[in-house]
Amino acid sequence: MTESIQDLSLTIGNNRNHWQDFLRDQGLTDFTDQEISAIDRTVVLVDDQGQWVGTGSVAGQTIKYLAVVNDGTQNAGARFNRLVSELENRLAQAGIFHLFVFTKPQYQSSFEHVGFTTLAKTDWGLILEKGTPDIEAFRRSLPVHAQPGQRVGALVMNANPFTRGHRYLVEQAAQENDLVYLFVVSQDVSLFTAAERLNLVRAGMADLTNVVVARGGDYMVSYLSFPAYFIPGNEETIRYQTALDAELFKQQIARPLGISRRYIGTEPQSPTTNLYNQTLKARLPPEVAVIEVDRVQVSGSNQVISASAVRALIKSGDLDGLADLVPESTGQFIKNHYQDLHERILKG
Amino acid sequence: MEIKKTALAGTLESSDIQIMLSQGQGKIEFSLVSDVAKQFGDQIKATIEKVLAAYQIDDALVKVVDQGALDPVIEARAITVCQRALDLVDQPQWEVL
Amino acid sequence: MAGTELLRRTMMFVPGNNPGLIKDAGIFGADSIMFDLEDAVSLAEKDAARYLVYQALQRFDYGEAELVVRINGLDTPFYQNDIKAMVKAGIDVIRLPKTESAEMVADLEKLVAAAEEEFGRPVGSTHLMAAIESAKGVVNANEIAAASDRMIGIALSAEDYTTDMKTHRYPDGQELLYARNVILHAARAAGVAAFDTVFTNLDDEEGFIRETELIHQLGFDGKSVINPRQIPLVNQVYQPSKQEILNAQNVMAAIEEAQRRGSGVIAINGQMVDRPVVMRAERVMNLAKANHLVNQEGQYIEE
Repeated sequence: MTESIQDLSLTIGNNRNHWQDFLRDQGLTDFTDQEISAIDRTVVLVDDQGQWVGTGSVAGQTIKYLAVVNDGTQNAGARFNRLVSELENRLAQAGIFHLFVFTKPQYQSSFEHVGFTTLAKTDWGLILEKGTPDIEAFRRSLPVHAQPGQRVGALVMNANPFTRGHRYLVEQAAQENDLVYLFVVSQDVSLFTAAERLNLVRAGMADLTNVVVARGGDYMVSYLSFPAYFIPGNEETIRYQTALDAELFKQQIARPLGISRRYIGTEPQSPTTNLYNQTLKARLPPEVAVIEVDRVQVSGSNQVISASAVRALIKSGDLDGLADLVPESTGQFIKNHYQDLHERILKG
Repeated sequence: MEIKKTALAGTLESSDIQIMLSQGQGKIEFSLVSDVAKQFGDQIKATIEKVLAAYQIDDALVKVVDQGALDPVIEARAITVCQRALDLVDQPQWEVL
Repeated sequence: MAGTELLRRTMMFVPGNNPGLIKDAGIFGADSIMFDLEDAVSLAEKDAARYLVYQALQRFDYGEAELVVRINGLDTPFYQNDIKAMVKAGIDVIRLPKTESAEMVADLEKLVAAAEEEFGRPVGSTHLMAAIESAKGVVNANEIAAASDRMIGIALSAEDYTTDMKTHRYPDGQELLYARNVILHAARAAGVAAFDTVFTNLDDEEGFIRETELIHQLGFDGKSVINPRQIPLVNQVYQPSKQEILNAQNVMAAIEEAQRRGSGVIAINGQMVDRPVVMRAERVMNLAKANHLVNQEGQYIEE
């Protein structure tokens, strides 16, 4: 009743140490610099003796490092609700009304009790969301929905940038299905911006009328569902994240949209993507078949076509081989924006 | 009146209710989480609908998490969220109170 | 001075945005309940608290308790809307924080009167009280206490006051002695109530009782409380003794006797009874009833 919420600045060393000690006592142990630097704000719940009895943080639109003391003197559920509520109100003041949380399976009901919906669940953990616009709004926002009886395929790609290899993969899908959803990763951390990537995919796909190009939003290969795609992580982290991403796709995207096939390209070069493909093959069937298509090679050579090869050309400044790797629309864009792209690459 | 921006009011604490109001799909749509949804869900919705009607809001998505709020609390939170969503925080609509 | 003399031993502070505490505020037997729109409410929730307290005042049952709202200060953007909403809700008393002059009370009174007119409330029905929280407020306590016919009391608010005085609160309360005496004198001279400040350390029950005994001895009407647990402790301190009750009964009997004879003169043992003595007797009987020390007929209940 007399517990109060206080702001905590983690930039102050003493605060950060006290906070980590408190969380360790509550069983949370992952304090990488990456995780901590992503935190936007932290609050603590303090009792009338000045003792900490709970804490919670937000990073972007995700609730993190939430823990309450369950000492039997106060209802731990009340503390939990108070902290979540406080964080939600702070996010609302910042104009954020859609939030996520990753947590362990034992906290599923606590979050559902305060209005969160489970998006995906594995043995390791689950991902929940609350607010608006939610996954339902995302599905509703897709421009075309399949008719009953139609065969529906899907692809998820970063397309950084869109290449002939991507085009080949989508052509396969377009031939084998009545309708194809092509989701382009929305996270803006690649050489080509999300808007550029989306536009280049649209331009390169314009002639395939049964392909629907859409943003992947928060739900497919995002910072949220699969951060290790963008930030290096160890193999266990990648397995954990790809499993959640795959389950989310299966439960929230494929099933409601009637998708029965997911197309992926073989991935000889990137261990992370390779691991992702393995997870998809393990988790999506039998409801969703995973169809792995071999990478195409540049005609007359054994070089596979890949977006990283395109980026290497931009970096080297030698665009001679570009036409072999990308469709005309992408090639034109690169030529028109070469100076800018080259500078972006050099900046890293 | 048309909703100008998504708004949130209330808390998840005991005896309170949290209401989020955002633009709808042409009508009033509810989602309600409450331990007593079976017994009191309709009453909770009716109280909120009455306030929405007073603000002439007929197109909204209303997400509600109830923690056992009594009717006056529901009404107060509904008024707050409407004033916020209509961008009228500093201009209380006295005739609605 | 507005109204007849009410018991104001306890004024319980209730955070204005907490439904759980607001709905239950009536069950602890506080003489006054003060809903706080000011310090207990964060800036982002000022609107929410205002509507919540408004609804609570309209629809929850607080029995006989006097209902007070502490509004946000004159220098905030919430001040005018707080006044309007609370007048519309029919609040008994508006408490003005950080009062430093009679003009501040006059400004408040003007807005309250306008709101009464706008919302069709009887003009003059909304009473006022002022919290004094600074050296300047203490220096001007006399004019503040007498600033309006609507005034029912003034209160010391010690947290801000001690900060303004470049000190902080000490267990023995020496730092508050001057302010307490000034406020008490200003209140008595103006014929309004004097309220003492809160005691925030809930675990120091002994300290709380000691401070309550001090302000009772000085002559304060009562104390502000932040937790229902403090209410019975204050009431215990303010409980009249058996001798006080028996004396008061004699005075009450003499009043009845005078009324029966149709005489304007009240006398005991051949001595005329002055008005302050009559008022004290009434107050003692009120306290005795509130503490359940007398029965329906006003007879002392032997333990």
